[in-house]
Amino acid sequence: MNLLNVIWAEMKKSHRHNFNNRLMYFSLFVWPVIQFVDSYYAFKPFNLGQDSPLSRFVPVEKLGLFLITGCLAYIFFWSLVQSAWMMGYEREQGTLEIILLTPAPRTLVMFSRAAANLLEAVWLFSIFAVLTILFMGGLHVAHWWLIPIAVVILMLSAIVWGGFLNTIFLFSRDAGFLYTIFEAPMAFFSGVRMPVMAFPLWAKMIAYAFPLTFVLNILRSIVLDGKNLSAIFQPLLELFLILLCLIIASFILVRYAEKHAKETGNLTLF
Amino acid sequence: MLEAKKLVKYYTMKEKSGWFARKKQQIKAVNGLDLTIKRGEIVGLLGVNGAGKTTTIKMLSTLLAPTSGTLSIDGIDALQQPEAIKRRINMIAGGERMLYWRLSARENLMYFGRLYGLRGSALKNQCDELIKKVGLAESADRPVERYSKGMKQRLQIARGLINDPDYLFLDEPTLGLDAPVARQLRGMVKDLAKKKNKGILLTSHYLEEVEELCDHVYIIEKGHLLLHDTPTRIIQTIVKDRILLVVMDRLTQEDWTWLRQELDNRGIHTQKNETDEGTQLDMTAPFDLTAQFIALTHQRNFHLLRLESKKPNLEDAIIRLAEERELL
Ligand SMILES: Nc1ncnc2c1ncn2[C@@H]1O[C@H](COP(=O)(O)OP(=O)(O)OP(=O)(O)O)[C@@H](O)[C@H]1O
Ligand SMILES: [Mg+2]
Repeated sequence: MNLLNVIWAEMKKSHRHNFNNRLMYFSLFVWPVIQFVDSYYAFKPFNLGQDSPLSRFVPVEKLGLFLITGCLAYIFFWSLVQSAWMMGYEREQGTLEIILLTPAPRTLVMFSRAAANLLEAVWLFSIFAVLTILFMGGLHVAHWWLIPIAVVILMLSAIVWGGFLNTIFLFSRDAGFLYTIFEAPMAFFSGVRMPVMAFPLWAKMIAYAFPLTFVLNILRSIVLDGKNLSAIFQPLLELFLILLCLIIASFILVRYAEKHAKETGNLTLF
Repeated sequence: MLEAKKLVKYYTMKEKSGWFARKKQQIKAVNGLDLTIKRGEIVGLLGVNGAGKTTTIKMLSTLLAPTSGTLSIDGIDALQQPEAIKRRINMIAGGERMLYWRLSARENLMYFGRLYGLRGSALKNQCDELIKKVGLAESADRPVERYSKGMKQRLQIARGLINDPDYLFLDEPTLGLDAPVARQLRGMVKDLAKKKNKGILLTSHYLEEVEELCDHVYIIEKGHLLLHDTPTRIIQTIVKDRILLVVMDRLTQEDWTWLRQELDNRGIHTQKNETDEGTQLDMTAPFDLTAQFIALTHQRNFHLLRLESKKPNLEDAIIRLAEERELL
C-alpha cells in the first residue's frame, strides 16, 4: 500500500512538474518520429536485396518493423535518462533534502520516480508506434498473449534502468555527463537502428553493457521472429539477472549515497 | 525530551593541491555541544555567521551524521533509529527553496504528506487544515512560483507541520520577511509550543524575536557553547547598566555643577547635551537610578519635560558579550 502511495505521489508530482510544458512532448514524440522516419529512408537508397549484407540479420521486408521497435524501446529508456537528469533540479531546489527528511523508503522513491515519469513520457510515441505497426503489417507473433508480455518486459526493464540512474544522480551534482554518454551511444550500440549481430566484436562488447540491447533482442524475437517463450528463455534469464543486479546495486548505492551525504553535507552543494 | 550530548561535527574537505594530489582539511563546525529541548518549550540557538547553527539543526534533523556524540528523542536513539525519529520531527529553513515551484501549495503538501505515509481523507483533511492555518486558502491552487516570499515561507511552515511533529527545528524562519508577516509567524510559533505542546528550536539573527519567543537560549561560538540561560538572566548577568534619559528646562551653570557632584557621588555616569528643548542628560549606572534622580530634582525644583528609562535587551547583551570576547 505504501508502495502505491509513493508511486502515486511521484506521478502527481512529475505530471505537474515535468510535463506542464507542452514542449516536453516535442522531445518525446516529434523528435523520435523524425528519427524513425530518417533512419527508415536512410536505408531506402541502398540496394537491400536478398543478398545485401544487412539482410543476413534483418529480412528486408521487416526493416520498418525492426526500426519502429528499436525507436519505441529507445524512447522508453531515453525518457528515463531525461527524468534522472532532472534530479539535479531537486538537489538545487533543496527538495531532495526534504525527501530525505521523510521516512519514505528511499529506493522505492527512486523507482517510483522512474515509473511515474515513464508512462507519461512514452504514451504518445507508443500510440504512434502501434499505428505504424498496424499500418506496415508483417507482425509475426507465436501467441497473441506474448505481446502484452513483451510490453511488460519493456516497461519493467525501463523502470529498473531509470531507478538505477536516479540513484546515480544522488551522488553527484556533476552526473550530467551521463546525458552525453547515453544519448547517441545508447541509440547506436543498443541496436536501435542496426542489428547488434552485424557489429564487429569490439562494438558488440560495448553493446552488451547497455540493458537496452537485451530488451530489444527479446522484444524483436517476440514480435518479428515469432519465437515462443521457450525459445527466448535464455535471453530472458540474462535480462532478469541484469535487472536483478541493477536493483541490488540501486539498494546499495542509495544507502551509500545517503550515508555519504550525511557525512559530508554535500546535498547542499550544487 | 530531546537530548543531545557532546555533539561534534567535523567536515572533511578535500582541497586540490595539484592534478591528483589532494589535501585533507578539517573544519570543526560543532564542537561538543550539549542541548536539550522539552516539549512545549521554545529554545533559541544564537551565534554569529558560521557559528554552527545550521549544522546543529541538520544533525538534530538526522540530515547530518555527527562525528561523535549522542542524540536521543523521547528515549529513542536518533543515530540508531533515524526512521523512527523522522516521523516525530520536522525542519523548516528560511528562504524560498525546498518547495516545488511549479506545483501549487496543495500539491506540495499532498506530495510530502504521502511520503509520510498519509493518504486518503486523512491526507486531504490535514492539507486543508494546514492551508487554512497558514492563511493560504485563497491561493492554495496557484503554482508556488507565483507566491510572494512571505507566502512561500508560510507554505514551508505548513510543510514542516504535515507529519504533526513533536519537535520542530526552525532555521531562520523569518529571514527576509517584513515586520507584519514576521510577527504573524512568531504568533504561530508561540501557539505551536504553548497550545500544541511541541518542542521548538529556533535560530534567528533577529534578537528581539528570540527575546520575545524563547524560554531559554543557547549562545554558541565556533561550535562551542558559550552560555545557556533564559533571555532575562542573560541580559541581567551581562548588561548591568541601566540608562535613564531626561530632558529638563535649561539648567543654570550653578545647578549643573551641584547636580553633577550629586550624581558623581552616587556613581552615576552622566553626559549633558544642550538641545532646543532644554538640557538633555544621558545617565548610566549599574542599578535602576530613576528614583534617586527624581529625589534630586525635588530638592531644587527642577522642571522635567521628559523622562525615559531604557531597559537593556538581548541585543545589548550579545553586543556586550561580543565586545568582552574581543578583549580576551
Ligand atoms: N557542507 C559543508 N562542508 C564543509 N564545511 C561546511 C559545510 N557546511 C558548513 N560548513 C562550515 O561549517 C561552519 C558552520 O556552518 P553553519 O552553516 O552551521 O553556520 P551557521 O551558524 O548556520 O551560520 P549562518 O548564521 O551564516 O547561517 C562554517 O565554518 C561553514 O563554513
Ligand atoms: Mg545557518
